[in-house]
Amino acid sequence: MLHGIALGGGALVALAATLFGLLILKSESDVHGPAARRTWVSSLASISSVLVWLTVIGGTYIVFPPYRATPPEGMADLAAYPRSFLLASSDRAWLHGIAMEMKEHVPWIAAMLATAAAFITSRYRTAVFRESLERRLALTLLGLCVALVATASMLGMLVNKVAPLD
Amino acid sequence: MSTTESTTPGTSPSMVEPNGAALAAFLAAGIGAFAMGLFVLLSEAGIFAAPSLYGPAGGVSGRTTFAVVTWLIAWAVVHRRWRSRHVEPAGVWAATLALVAFALLATFPPVWAIFG
Repeated sequence: MLHGIALGGGALVALAATLFGLLILKSESDVHGPAARRTWVSSLASISSVLVWLTVIGGTYIVFPPYRATPPEGMADLAAYPRSFLLASSDRAWLHGIAMEMKEHVPWIAAMLATAAAFITSRYRTAVFRESLERRLALTLLGLCVALVATASMLGMLVNKVAPLD
Repeated sequence: MSTTESTTPGTSPSMVEPNGAALAAFLAAGIGAFAMGLFVLLSEAGIFAAPSLYGPAGGVSGRTTFAVVTWLIAWAVVHRRWRSRHVEPAGVWAATLALVAFALLATFPPVWAIFG
């Protein structure tokens, strides 16, 4: 719950809000307008990055170990062992073989991209709100992050729906 | 990816922020992503398996840590070289997007069958 909804969901919302903030604050009046709004978007980019890192670190070191735990020999009820439960049926095996395998690595890529976006948004606080290279870099990184985190979240929901980790 | 010094006659470096630091962060993120994909592919192909750094999490702890360390080193090196320079962006754009595209392919399990 904390990993998937609070951190992962929070990261996705914060990334999308940062992307939206960058897009709507581009007009000339905003560039020369309240600096507080630009500071707010830059801060949100940093918060997004922190949330993505907390999600991937927590996911890898706290949530993943019980997911991949090996059940005792001869155990028939595998409900408490999600990976083994998924792999026990050919209908469900793809949820580990594709969905969970992607979830192990893709969010780490998103975390690195989100950090780069936060750095650029913070260091080039004015340039990212007008037509500039830095703006295009930040928008590209944030767009990729939103897509990757949304994909990982969706895969996580699918896995959790079939093999919930209690 | 040619670079030029930021200080040109009549231009104050404080007025025109060099783009090098932004492009360094962008490229380093691509290098980190590429490293992640490469460590995954090497592991799946049985060529190199990053050691598990935390037993309960298994090999993913080693692969991700190695990729993050690669990213940080790459960022530090490129940032140090480019931070006060204007860098030609086209090559950096293309290289970074290619690195990220490779990473996404390399972390897509059906692709592993080609190398496995």
